[in-house]
Amino acid sequence: MEFDWTPEQLSFRATVRSFLAEHLPPNWETVAHGPASEVQSEFADVFCRKLAEAGLLVPHWPARWGGRDADAWTAFILAEEMWMAGEPRGGQYMNVNWIGPTLMRFGSEEQQQRYIPPMAGGATIWCQGFSEPEAGSDLASLRTRADRHGSNYRINGQKIWTSYAGYADTCFLLARTSPGKNGISIFLIPMETPGITVRQIPSVIGEGDIHEVFFDEVEVPGTAMLGAEGQAWEITRTALSLERVGIPRFALASLMLHRAVDRLKKAGRYGGGAIEQSARAHAACESARLYSYNIIDQRVRGIATGPEASAARVATVSAERLVGEFVVEHCPEALAGGEPMLQAHHQRAIVAGIASGAAEIQLNLIATELLKLPREPR
Amino acid sequence: MDFTLTSDQTALTDAIDRIAQQFDAKPTDFHGFALSGAALEHQLTEGEYFDIALIPEFGPLTAALAVERLARSAFAAEAALSMLVRPQLPGEWPRPVAVVESGRPGRFVATAKTLIVIDGERISLARPSPGDVEAVESLYAYPMGRLVGSPALTKLSAADAANVRKWMRVALAAEAAGLIQAAIDSTVEHLSIRKQFGRPLGTFQALRHRMAECAVLAGGVRLLARKAAFSGNDGDAALAALHAQDSGTRMAYEMHQMLGAMGMTLEHPLHLWTYRIKALLSELGGRGGQAQAVATHCFGKP
Repeated sequence: MEFDWTPEQLSFRATVRSFLAEHLPPNWETVAHGPASEVQSEFADVFCRKLAEAGLLVPHWPARWGGRDADAWTAFILAEEMWMAGEPRGGQYMNVNWIGPTLMRFGSEEQQQRYIPPMAGGATIWCQGFSEPEAGSDLASLRTRADRHGSNYRINGQKIWTSYAGYADTCFLLARTSPGKNGISIFLIPMETPGITVRQIPSVIGEGDIHEVFFDEVEVPGTAMLGAEGQAWEITRTALSLERVGIPRFALASLMLHRAVDRLKKAGRYGGGAIEQSARAHAACESARLYSYNIIDQRVRGIATGPEASAARVATVSAERLVGEFVVEHCPEALAGGEPMLQAHHQRAIVAGIASGAAEIQLNLIATELLKLPREPR
Repeated sequence: MDFTLTSDQTALTDAIDRIAQQFDAKPTDFHGFALSGAALEHQLTEGEYFDIALIPEFGPLTAALAVERLARSAFAAEAALSMLVRPQLPGEWPRPVAVVESGRPGRFVATAKTLIVIDGERISLARPSPGDVEAVESLYAYPMGRLVGSPALTKLSAADAANVRKWMRVALAAEAAGLIQAAIDSTVEHLSIRKQFGRPLGTFQALRHRMAECAVLAGGVRLLARKAAFSGNDGDAALAALHAQDSGTRMAYEMHQMLGAMGMTLEHPLHLWTYRIKALLSELGGRGGQAQAVATHCFGKP
């Protein structure tokens, strides 16, 4: 057991930092509002192509798909640095983290050839059609239907809270092909397919993040299905396990905490309650960091991650919350135009306990799988 | 970054585990507060386990793992200060080691051969004579004692004092990690067996979520304590001790609430861990003291 970085890992982090220093514009922090704002999305499009050229978009992918077979630490160090910089990759982080790897594992040859190279080149954005108005945490109750018509499927239904849908080229869609939990299938659908309507939902998270997506008689070929009919649950579980410890939220939370403390010190306002609250928030950030590193260590060793990934999520939610509360109480000007990055962080932090499986779902998993408490009756 | 134990660490923790297992359960006829493990300490002394931090292939991290494990036993041994702080003291100082902070009663003070005396910023060491210390009855489930005499004090330099304070924080966090885990284990057992409204208490979501939150805190204390023991960094030590006291505060309340009236009895062992946790909450200035240390070491001087 040890907690140091290797020289190679330190050097890789330095490489990523100097790339960011070179390619982020001087006013980046003032434009980095809204994870999928127009300005950020347009920047991401150019930035990700440059990242790809520099070998920094998908280094952890197999060489066959444009990577260099680097390990999960490389991917996570990259993710930390990007997230701390306000995620200049925009929605492309999802391709890098889980959509690409999921397609490599479950996709047909045709799907892989069609979709993976543009991801590796930084030239495409995907969205994730999971949640529905009646199916959030209870994802298995989703209603969007995909009915077979000859060799095609006809899709009708509605998705909601879909991030990046306004800019996405392709949707990773969950739809029902028959009743029950095992009746859900995955379709890879170009967003330009006739019958798809996207409507942005104004949100506190920031511009352009969440959307409603309507599917009205959307006809797709059977070859758009990922894996077999009814295989969605198995595939999604794999994808979500990558997503659960995907965004290193603790890293930006910690950076913003330090920044808020610096502001307070400069203003002569750091003392008493602020000291206690900032210290507590810092401990929560470092706890979440170690929890997350533990999961990455398991990934590198090929150990299937269990409830520890849920614990890492809950620890991260707690860290985000404590940093957010600290900023609001002691540095309120941050949310009133005083510091764009602090404000952007505060906006994004609200997502921590909700996206990719609500924190309460994680608590249930921890209770059953980590503590071995008896299951609750259904 | 490597979260698996080395073969040396595994061998050592297995050996500690074999010893500790004999002392894990509370004797059924024991209905008191302080359950001290003289026989446990004897075995640890015989095996020379108190000096493992000084052995290069083990080091302080392995010592912290041992402290964590020993704290899960029902019998309390003075292990944390001996294993993690004593190796840092300048010169040869015998064990057991205890801390007298601002003249207050402290754990193991009545039997200590070395006292770490904290008076404000100043830290001194002393070898108390039997008449210098006396036992104190307390709720804390550790054998408590206080300093009543005036043994000769050897004042530590500012650098040594800071180093001792740091390792005391690591020791506190490692011990808290074990205590918190034992309290959780004991509570999970109760929630899995005790039925109300026709089903085990552990099936009720109101309790499950609180238990899961406590489990996350417990894991965080463990990880931060281990990291601090590995790095020997002032900031890491302050963060670990703060998270330990913060989590311990919540845990001591929550576990008793989960156990209901059973947790009020001296028959059930829960109090052995929760009241030991409570003994740690005031040490080194409590949460305010750790927060100040975090501010100094992690955020720079205010």
